[in-house]
Amino acid sequence: MAEDVALRSKALWRFRLPEPVLGLLLVLPAVSLLVALTMYPVLYGVWISLFNKHSFFPEQTFIGLGNYVAILGDAEFWASVQRGAIYAVSTIVLQIVLGVAVAVLLDQRFPGRNILRAIVIFPYIVPTVVAVILWKWLLNSQFGLVNYLIESAGLSNQPISWMGRDWIMTSLILVSVWQFFPFVVIGVLARLQTIPGELYEAATVDGASAVQRFTNVTLPQLKSILFVIVLLRSIWMFTKFDTPWLMIQGGGAETYIRTLPVYTYQRTFAYYEAGLGSAMAVLMFLMLAVGAAIYFRLWRREEEL
Amino acid sequence: MSQAFRFLSVPGQAVIICALALLVFSAFPFAWMASTAFKPSHEIFATPPTLWPTTFTLENIERLFAETKFLTYFRNSVTVSLSAVGLTLIFSVPAAYSLTRFRFPGREQIAAVVLFTYMFAPVMIIVPFYILIRFLGLTNTHLGLVLAYTAFCLPFNLWLLRTFFQSIPIDIEQAALVDGANRFQAIIFVVLPLALPGVVATGIFTFILAWNDYIFARVLLSRDELKTLPVGIADLYNASVVDWGMIMAAGLLVLAPVLAVFVFIQKSLVAGWGAGGVKG
Amino acid sequence: MSRRRGLVSIAFAAGAMFGLCGPTLSADKVVRVWHTETEPQTVKAFNDIARRFEAKNPGIKVEAEGLAWGDLEGKIMASLAAGDPPELSHGQPITCTALQAKGLLLPLDEVVKAIGESNIWEQVKRVCNVGGKQYGLVHAAGTSLLIYRKDLADKHGIKQPKTWDDLVAAAKALTLDTNGDGRTDIYGITIPGDNLFINILLGELIKANGGQLFDKDNRPTLTDRKVIETLEFWRELARYAPPGWEGHGYLQTFQNLYGQKSAMMLAGYGRGAGMIERFAPKEMANGETFSVWVKPHGPSGTEPATQVDEEPWMLFRGAKHTKEGVEFLKFFYQDENYLEYIRTVPIHFFPITKSLRESPAYRENDMIRRWKSWLDVQEQYLERDQGKPTLVVEWSDMTEKPYLMEVLGSGILRDMVIDVAVEKMEPTKAAEKAQKRLEDLLRSKGYIKG
Repeated sequence: MAEDVALRSKALWRFRLPEPVLGLLLVLPAVSLLVALTMYPVLYGVWISLFNKHSFFPEQTFIGLGNYVAILGDAEFWASVQRGAIYAVSTIVLQIVLGVAVAVLLDQRFPGRNILRAIVIFPYIVPTVVAVILWKWLLNSQFGLVNYLIESAGLSNQPISWMGRDWIMTSLILVSVWQFFPFVVIGVLARLQTIPGELYEAATVDGASAVQRFTNVTLPQLKSILFVIVLLRSIWMFTKFDTPWLMIQGGGAETYIRTLPVYTYQRTFAYYEAGLGSAMAVLMFLMLAVGAAIYFRLWRREEEL
Repeated sequence: MSQAFRFLSVPGQAVIICALALLVFSAFPFAWMASTAFKPSHEIFATPPTLWPTTFTLENIERLFAETKFLTYFRNSVTVSLSAVGLTLIFSVPAAYSLTRFRFPGREQIAAVVLFTYMFAPVMIIVPFYILIRFLGLTNTHLGLVLAYTAFCLPFNLWLLRTFFQSIPIDIEQAALVDGANRFQAIIFVVLPLALPGVVATGIFTFILAWNDYIFARVLLSRDELKTLPVGIADLYNASVVDWGMIMAAGLLVLAPVLAVFVFIQKSLVAGWGAGGVKG
Repeated sequence: MSRRRGLVSIAFAAGAMFGLCGPTLSADKVVRVWHTETEPQTVKAFNDIARRFEAKNPGIKVEAEGLAWGDLEGKIMASLAAGDPPELSHGQPITCTALQAKGLLLPLDEVVKAIGESNIWEQVKRVCNVGGKQYGLVHAAGTSLLIYRKDLADKHGIKQPKTWDDLVAAAKALTLDTNGDGRTDIYGITIPGDNLFINILLGELIKANGGQLFDKDNRPTLTDRKVIETLEFWRELARYAPPGWEGHGYLQTFQNLYGQKSAMMLAGYGRGAGMIERFAPKEMANGETFSVWVKPHGPSGTEPATQVDEEPWMLFRGAKHTKEGVEFLKFFYQDENYLEYIRTVPIHFFPITKSLRESPAYRENDMIRRWKSWLDVQEQYLERDQGKPTLVVEWSDMTEKPYLMEVLGSGILRDMVIDVAVEKMEPTKAAEKAQKRLEDLLRSKGYIKG
């Protein structure tokens, strides 16, 4: 049986496609789909950013770069960029640090490890809506468990307003880190599992401590996967819309977590300025593009193949 | 990495403490969700809060099934998410493999462009995307939604799989080819098993993205029977009387089956590691 | 082997994709109805009414969907952009007039005639009535209420506040340390911190102070003395609200009330009755403990003002089956169907038809009897024309100020209130900042020149 298959496959492959053609052929389906379903909306978005267009109604007037000028002069825009940056950087750093630490922990052998590996993923698989609602309930200033525990432990004699002015950014960061650090864990853990054991054995023989083994063996091996993870998480956290948005719904001091994606959404769907909203999205994209270009340049040397 | 676990050693204890802290951090909110789900309405607002319900009740779950279309939403989410995973992998696995193994003109550019399209915030694309889907006659269909998820998961799928394929040394394939296998056999029998943890991980991420999505499901679907869980649960929350018990019950039921699936997948992730290690 | 498996999976995938396409072929006329009532019992009642309509009208299918208000606006927008609006939808009153101004709606006079013009409260008919035609028909009206703990008020000798100063004094007196541990256990009043409700409350308060938000030329009048007084009042009142009130949404404020963390609620609604019954301690869960006062007026005002939560049904010109939509609405408002709908949130859904309000079936409803005082106060506001929709200060605003929708969405007024009441900014300074932002907004939309 196996020989038959091998013979038939060999026959097929005798007609050998040149490598570049085969390569392109395999990539083509994915790229075509992407172009069809993503390029058009992107281009339309850029196009409409040059117009003053009401989100509801079809009329539009060409105003060139008028939207961009208005945005750059809008104090609230810059405030939202700042909030978005604080949010993105804090959550990324915390997600990576926590994610790597947890992945290393889960790579050790200890009883219950497999169960813990499954449990760690839970926050990630829950829809954002559920995660936000759950934490809003835990952080409810009057009836939430967290405040009850804090007050019982004597750490505060006033209920903390987690959704109020002072703490809502912290709450948002907490929920986001809780929800997304498993992503880092999964990626890093998968990579950790392919690190050859011999490298660690060699290091131990050389007298390296656990910390040294981590810095000299593990971290270099993780570089490539971390590169991708940091990149992906950065893009996502910088453009994250639903977590802050859902936290605002039904009560949450909106002004203090109005990040750039939230403000962009509001300009389109609440101020009803589709042109201006698109212009903001384009600006968001440019900021990310510049950031990514810098990032790539810094890591160029590490890329193989 | 293969030392027997020593409970009494300092590193051993550190590991246990960290593991417990992790357990609490990740799992306790869910325990609280379960606790609330089984409490009657009056107990939910009692001070001090109780972890173990004094009155254990199933009325929240009953209300969830009787008064809402929760089961329908659940079924829809499963269908749509699994389809998105299948479709995306079909497109992205060959493409990622190609990006790492074959040289052809435009290879690096394609990779860069893929990433760039990803940076355009979904929030802004949603309206033109809706118009496109409507043009294709796919509004209010699950297929339209699956296409949306595929389009949005493709970029990061390609990047992630590319990294995983890159980490598999090309020598292994060369060795197989030298042994007389053709390329196709080399891929199926040698590369894929090694890449399996990566493919599974990528599949998981895709599933999660589709499972969690709120904005596309909200705009592309309007028929109640087609709604997915995030939209269904958001509507339950925004309903003017927030039935915390019922909401927590919904969250709990969302989690339980997925929990089972992940426990199962964990085993295959570990097995993949065991079978595919690079041996000399 | 692998090739065969490959072929099977391709076939499977193809089959799955076709299966996913879903039923798109149907000879029935589909009437799409979007509404903002997401409570399960209301959704169920609405669907029951829809099924009964379908049974009486074979060949017509009603596809109803309940959405949160914020999501609904976005969906309407997307559907209009795609040229594919639903037949019927809820909307804010100001949205209704804005859409009508662009010619996107059809009048509902046929439905009004079927119900009986004199059968509908006057106040309700003024909503989205343009050029004598009814472009929006309110589904149910519920006024904003000042709810208070009668037991605590009686205990501390607090009488009905007639002016804002009275209300602040009452809030102060009702901020209590009930167990003597030095910490406040119950705050005098709870106020909302989210955008929609701050706008609602601000509009209502400005009216109660005899002021306005925009003048005849569409210029904002935020630096006007009457608006400044309103901001100062808000700041004073906020001192007796639970800390972190700026993060309290609509639902949290109800929770504060029935969870006994606050003694009064300024922006309450009939819905609260249902929540109190469900979540408050059983001995307190009634209309005697939680009673309603008529709202006070401001120093520069003379009579109370309140907001009315009354989303109108809108009929979209660009939809396919508008005639069937009209038939459905007529059916909806028939007493026995309308009653089923109203009964789902009976204290909040004040019926627009007098026939239903006076019908024995309605009056005999248990809950309506239990919370009678709440309904009487609402009726009083409606009769005395003291209730208006969100951000509408005079009825003429509805037709003359079509930009209220954008003002509401922009959150500029909300930011102003937060600046004064949370950031403790000078009211004049905060008002000037908001004034400039509003002027920019209106200018970019062409409502003010230069």
